[in-house]
Amino acid sequence: MASLDAIRGVGLGLKRELIPQIQNLYSDSSISNINFVEIAPENWIGAGGKAAHDLAWFVERYPIVCHGLCLSLGGPDPLNVSFLKQVKTFLAQHEIPLYTEHLSYCSDIQHGKAGYLYDLLPIPFTEEAVKYVAARIRQTQDILGQKIAIENTSFYVAAPISSMSEIDFLNAVLSEADCNCHLDINNIYVNSVNFNFDAHEYLKQIPKEKIVYSHIAGHYQEAPDLLVDTHGADIIDPVWKLLESAYQLFGTFPTLLERDTNIPPLPKLLPELNKIATLQESC
Amino acid sequence: MLDFQRYQLEFTAHIRDPKAHARPAKVKDARMAVYREIVFNNIFGSVSACFPVCQAVLGKRAWLALCKQFFAQHPASTPIFREIPQEFLKFIATAKYLPVYFQSLAHYEWVELAVNMQAIETPKVSKTLNLLHEIPVLAPAHRLLEYDFPVHKISAKFKPKSAEKTYLLVFRNAEFKVNFIELNPMTFQLLKLINEKKMTGEQALMRLTEELKHPNTDAVIAFGLGILQDLANQQAIIGSVKA
Repeated sequence: MASLDAIRGVGLGLKRELIPQIQNLYSDSSISNINFVEIAPENWIGAGGKAAHDLAWFVERYPIVCHGLCLSLGGPDPLNVSFLKQVKTFLAQHEIPLYTEHLSYCSDIQHGKAGYLYDLLPIPFTEEAVKYVAARIRQTQDILGQKIAIENTSFYVAAPISSMSEIDFLNAVLSEADCNCHLDINNIYVNSVNFNFDAHEYLKQIPKEKIVYSHIAGHYQEAPDLLVDTHGADIIDPVWKLLESAYQLFGTFPTLLERDTNIPPLPKLLPELNKIATLQESC
Repeated sequence: MLDFQRYQLEFTAHIRDPKAHARPAKVKDARMAVYREIVFNNIFGSVSACFPVCQAVLGKRAWLALCKQFFAQHPASTPIFREIPQEFLKFIATAKYLPVYFQSLAHYEWVELAVNMQAIETPKVSKTLNLLHEIPVLAPAHRLLEYDFPVHKISAKFKPKSAEKTYLLVFRNAEFKVNFIELNPMTFQLLKLINEKKMTGEQALMRLTEELKHPNTDAVIAFGLGILQDLANQQAIIGSVKA
């Protein structure tokens, strides 16, 4: 089995647009800071043709992280075990050491039937939800035979029934589920603006020993008090500062640049990748 | 059901169909609007990308309404993103007031994605191509299709009013490009015999001669061989294997 140690330094989310560009520049020193790439299993499981051909190319050359979107750890419908088994096979087949998912849900039940909504929806922060989600994470880890890492997710609506803060909810789940933490730096910032809390205070409460992986990205400002996590713009200074603080507090950890919309040519993303590398070297 | 799950279902019911279901109590509408937009737009984008002609024949407003209905009413059962269009096919199989050709058209548009992404091994073939005495092998990712409407000709300007049998071969070539070839009924039958009954070119053409009650077997074989050779030139046939 592939080792988690293979994932280190700086990574880039593998979007279709970027694939030929990385392939063309593969031996060029300008992209030497791309140490690993990340894919969503929901985009690649079962894919043949050009997609399978491209994936094989990357598996040969880069360590790969799987970052899931549709496991729906907080969903009201039963955990999709057959999908999870597909993920397990996929991880083994491509020797992928790390699978992370969101602390959110993306499915519901209508007229007795489970259905996907394909987006990250906010779980209310309650004791009941902690127990429920933690049990599903443990079930996931049992099936996979490995720990997963869960990501703090960006949200726009605070549930009136929440009885605890987001950071308390995250920590309770991490502890109860005995899973790892996938720290999303931009999401801390987005939520700190959307729900008016201090991002650095939140960061300080993350359990250092559980961090295995992180994300950084840009977002869209819809209103002064509303940021939308589009992954479609450059990273702003307060988010860079937060990453730097995280490295100072916890030591460095692998960090991936997410760019999912409004994707510029690869050379335009290199300064951000290089900046992550520089921060990692100096901390 | 747990309390927080009751809230979750109110939340998603509102996102799926805001007119039919009020947002959860004490939740800000401006914030719910973000979810109403991003969740629907994500699915709308995925469906629209797969079905451009369906969109064109219905027009923008009707297309948007149909996609909203899909999102509001259809529980999509797959977590795999490229299978969302397949969920849409399931939905329109039960939807009302659509043009008679619509399901065929949607299927035809979906096939391009399905063949493009199909995971399949390329079979081993003989060193030399022998279309007549061996079994011709179609490109591994392919579909032999029979429609009641000329789906490949439909556009905003051409909406068929009556049925017309249409036969197509859709295949992915070695450079991963998806190609469409319109077939006449005889070629369609010929490929069915070769592909499904594993007949050699000669066996299949002799069977067709019988079925057509054609007086001249040699003429049918010569004609059919030309067709198979042409399909091989287009990479639709990738080789042959011993019977």
